[in-house]
Amino acid sequence: MLFLFKYRFLQTIREFSVMFWALAFPIILGTLFYFSFGTSISATGETDWDAINVTVVSEDRSSENAKAFETFLKKIDGGLLTIIPSSSEAEALTMLNEEKVTGIFYVKESPSLTVGKNGLNESILTGALDSFNQNSSMIREVLSEHPENLPAVLESLGNYRQTVREETLGGKTLNPNVQYFFALIAYACLSGAFLGVRASFDTQANLTALGARRSVSPTHRLKLVIIDMLVLVTIHFINILILNLYIIKILKISLGDDIGSLLLVDFMGSIIGICIGLAFGCISKLDLDMKMGISVAITLIPGFLAGLMFGNMKNILELHCPIINRINPAAVLSDAFYCLGIYNDMARFTRCLIILAVMSIVLILIAFLGVRRESYDSI
Amino acid sequence: MIHIENLVKRYGNFIALDHLNLDIKEGEVFGLLGPNGSGKTTAINCLLALLKYDKGTITVFGKEMHPDSYDIKQDIGVVMQNVAVFDQMSVWENIDYFCGLYVKDKKTRLELVEEAIHFTGLEDFRKSRPKKLSGGLLRRLNIACGIAHKPRLIIMDEPTVAVDPQSRNRILEGILELNRQGSTIIYTSHYMEEVEQICSRIAIIDHGQVLATGTTEELKNMIKTGETITLEAIALNKEQLAEIRGLPHVFEISYEEQVLKIRLSRAKHNLVRILNYMQEHDLAFGRVFSELPTLNDVFLEITGKELRD
Repeated sequence: MLFLFKYRFLQTIREFSVMFWALAFPIILGTLFYFSFGTSISATGETDWDAINVTVVSEDRSSENAKAFETFLKKIDGGLLTIIPSSSEAEALTMLNEEKVTGIFYVKESPSLTVGKNGLNESILTGALDSFNQNSSMIREVLSEHPENLPAVLESLGNYRQTVREETLGGKTLNPNVQYFFALIAYACLSGAFLGVRASFDTQANLTALGARRSVSPTHRLKLVIIDMLVLVTIHFINILILNLYIIKILKISLGDDIGSLLLVDFMGSIIGICIGLAFGCISKLDLDMKMGISVAITLIPGFLAGLMFGNMKNILELHCPIINRINPAAVLSDAFYCLGIYNDMARFTRCLIILAVMSIVLILIAFLGVRRESYDSI
Repeated sequence: MIHIENLVKRYGNFIALDHLNLDIKEGEVFGLLGPNGSGKTTAINCLLALLKYDKGTITVFGKEMHPDSYDIKQDIGVVMQNVAVFDQMSVWENIDYFCGLYVKDKKTRLELVEEAIHFTGLEDFRKSRPKKLSGGLLRRLNIACGIAHKPRLIIMDEPTVAVDPQSRNRILEGILELNRQGSTIIYTSHYMEEVEQICSRIAIIDHGQVLATGTTEELKNMIKTGETITLEAIALNKEQLAEIRGLPHVFEISYEEQVLKIRLSRAKHNLVRILNYMQEHDLAFGRVFSELPTLNDVFLEITGKELRD
């Protein structure tokens, strides 16, 4: 068994074309991502902060609360946000419509915020307002009883930027570009399909002379298939680990600190990629070149839907057709990496792993049904 | 050793094997001779349980052959028509891998691999990848992978296709050596010279049927042609052709582009009789030669078409 494993392993890793797609291409793609994002990814994998442009409309500055809010805004101006002056509410709304500003803060007894759309920056502004409202009574109290302490209090609230960046959503990075790397690893996992498709050819006597030669040997067919599966999963798991190491150590992008769970997702991803290839390879009679061509689509389309080329794709699907995100293995894998890297949501993480396991089992069954025949109607 | 009875294989309406019957004895080099598409490879694939068939029985070593007849497969070696090796592995690794599918003991396996390398003359190419080998060497590697485990029965499906004459001779000599070492060989080909050269018994197949079986001599004795005499650069008129056609033992003549071919049944002094006629009629000719019947003549007479077609 070990002997057959060794040779199959050597044979597979020497197959340049499939190893290119399964290992080299994701690394090249990751490198291109890294350089195309340019300086937006720092050494810690986080985004260099761009202040959010806002404007302020003063409706009623007579109340204590309005004064406190105005002071608060001035304090965080230049840090979390940049206040762009406007002469009237109409001008402010024009600036908002033209997307020169992300939001309009209204200074009044009960401060309010108007934003043009939903998004991360809008959420941060909402969070800043909420933070002020939650602490407004304290600010008023300090203003009336200990005005000398007001700068320190506002300083504390002004650190909201740090709070937002490092403490919310599970205490992980919020760099939106990291999602591309999650989608990339998910795509890389699926690219195991190339290995699976190639290996399936050496199993079927009706497709290749090699398949025929192996089929007429006295080694049990199931044993050969199991060895193939073990070899492919091992090789692709190593491929994914190399990609992970490249992203973490060379590109310096954090994929979370739970190494055990990360390895688990990588492993499940390797299995699902190999199973997709084996299932496709075993149920179709197309020639190798055609199958390899289709495998490019089989891996890239789910990758695209998981946000590999357009980062917001997964969110759009989640809003309009969430079932695709549930059945797209790249999206499920990407989601699992999100759970590790950003959300810290173990329930969701577990759900992802269960979906991957069920998909793998179904695909293995399909592959088995495809190769279970030991003699063929035609060769 | 092998008994095939009433084997029928259909692809839709096309009958690939039509009640094929074969008996192959231990120690033979048995040739399956037929044109492309005659059913040779289909018969082999059915024999190896790779192909399902519609009707008939196949027994190998006295046991019925099934896809899971691993005990039977243990004693069979197959040299495929298409080269079946891993391009990513060296010559030595390929032979070792395929031998390892049959032989579990490492020491025995290594000895067998070395023997196979020596047998096929691949000593200088142990570390070479298949893509670096010439067509002939590649065919030899294909053979080494099929025979390294020293099987009792070796099935070779057109192993010399696209091979240079030097490699072809080496392969044919090797097949005879394997037979001398005790292996029974089934050899399929559409090259009648090869089959005639190495096979102890031959079955002629066409349209999925066995048309004749026997040794080369037996097959040649089955047909009417005993001799074919050819005269080149000869000018003949219709009357003379009719007279030649009427000579004793002549049963067929053809005359094209001043080349006269005369088929005669077995008899003494056929050539002398023809030359006497030419002398009596003062007919000049360039070259004359006489040929004994070939397997192609056998095939031609049985099927009405050339084997080379």
